[in-house]
Amino acid sequence: MADPGVTPMSSEPAVALEVDGVHKSFRRGQETLPVLVDISLRVENGEFVSIVGPSGGGKSTLFHIVGGLLAADRGTVRVGGQDVAGRRGLIGYMPQQPALLPWRTIENNVVLAREITGEPRRRSRALAREWLAKAGLDGFASAYPHTLSGGMQQRVAFLRALLSDHELLLLDEPFSALDAILRVDMHRWLLDIWEENRRSILFITHNVEEALLLSSTVYVFTGRPATVLERVEVPFARPRPDEVVDDPEFVRLKRRLTHLLKHDPRQAR
Amino acid sequence: MAETSPGPRARRWVPPLVAIVLILAAWQLFTVLSGIDRWLLPSPADIVAAGGADRESLAGHTLATVRLTLLGFSAGVAIGLLVAVVLHVVPVLRAAVYPLLVVSQNIPTIALAPLLVVWLGFGVLPKVIVIVLVCFFPVAVATLDGLARTDPVTTNYLRMSGANRRQLFAKLEFPNALPAVFSGLKIAATYSVFGAIISEWLGSEQGIGRYMIIQKSAFRADRMFVSIAIVVLISLLIFGTVVLLERILVRGRPRRDAHE
Repeated sequence: MADPGVTPMSSEPAVALEVDGVHKSFRRGQETLPVLVDISLRVENGEFVSIVGPSGGGKSTLFHIVGGLLAADRGTVRVGGQDVAGRRGLIGYMPQQPALLPWRTIENNVVLAREITGEPRRRSRALAREWLAKAGLDGFASAYPHTLSGGMQQRVAFLRALLSDHELLLLDEPFSALDAILRVDMHRWLLDIWEENRRSILFITHNVEEALLLSSTVYVFTGRPATVLERVEVPFARPRPDEVVDDPEFVRLKRRLTHLLKHDPRQAR
Repeated sequence: MAETSPGPRARRWVPPLVAIVLILAAWQLFTVLSGIDRWLLPSPADIVAAGGADRESLAGHTLATVRLTLLGFSAGVAIGLLVAVVLHVVPVLRAAVYPLLVVSQNIPTIALAPLLVVWLGFGVLPKVIVIVLVCFFPVAVATLDGLARTDPVTTNYLRMSGANRRQLFAKLEFPNALPAVFSGLKIAATYSVFGAIISEWLGSEQGIGRYMIIQKSAFRADRMFVSIAIVVLISLLIFGTVVLLERILVRGRPRRDAHE
């Protein structure tokens, strides 16, 4: 059922994230290294959007800008209609490594983001227990992170982002450290949880199949400096069965995106 | 009879205890068999007897030393933690002062004790300052190192989630530094007893250090051994308290002896 602590209010604007013409470069000594060139993308409310591109292509830099850690050199970023410009605490974030606090129990880790924004403690705990149960982690509430496997730690990190009460969730290659079998489990798990409360997700990956399986829209990025090579709509209905990966259309899309990633047209020039 | 294997705890404690008992027995045997003069090397039994005979005077001296040690230790730890936190929060200060702190660790601060007596006399204050000096550096340096060793991914996570400077410190940096803080505290715990004894040697009316000086002039090796045993006990007690606190406060990490 609708849960006021997790489900967004209906009064929120229809676009969760708008990135418009963002440029970013870093200075290294005398040199200027462009990292992001004219990036524009949008995530509608309740949409699952992926960015797929080579590793180390500056995708995480984009997340740091959306999260308010870095300022763009040019362009604007709007989260839920508000201009971000260095403002932090507007998004839920799941980093590449679980980054759980080892001295906190799982339950206390899950409520961390809510604690930072000063949500009432009781409500947070109740939500944490509810979601740990839904996520198949009941019984681990008072365990410490080092006793959990890598996959379970990632689930906890996802719940921590989910419970942060922000409409937009940024997931930065969350499954890249997991083995292939565990990764498939995690996709199913993530989709199940997401179907249940449809938050807006921007998901970074370098895995084409992962991007196609999870998202409704995929942005293909080039390597560094990153630009948007193509925006692809993924037509499959939800909830998506596991067999969707064998669908000829899926296979065709996968082949095309893989080809795009391998043969960056800029390099062909 | 049912077979019972000793628990892992017992297995850890028994061998060193047996070793201590064997060493004491060998010592006792040596003094009896060699006929060495008592005033030169008393036997363990002699030492226990000497301690028992002088227990009233020893109790007063021990109490004075414990009080002095705890006073100096707590002041030194408090100042060490405070300085570390200030330096960590103000990076400019840290850049200027941290190298000096590290270098000063290699200076035997205890050498300043006679100078402090010249400046401040024979009261409690110069003694406390000596102990503060020896405790301060290990605590400050260990805490600073611990605070600097925060995982950047987790730091980014907290900042993107909207944590302010104070939250970042309280929820991440300080708890993350706790194990390092405790290794500093353990060093400071032993140093503090050592600082107290030396400052008492330099001039005091009470305390185990004072008692040792008196016994040295009287060539009472047995009583010197008693005071050494007391110093070791005080040191172990403070160290043990720190370890106990560490076990309570540092949670959720596999202990060093856990197999993983």
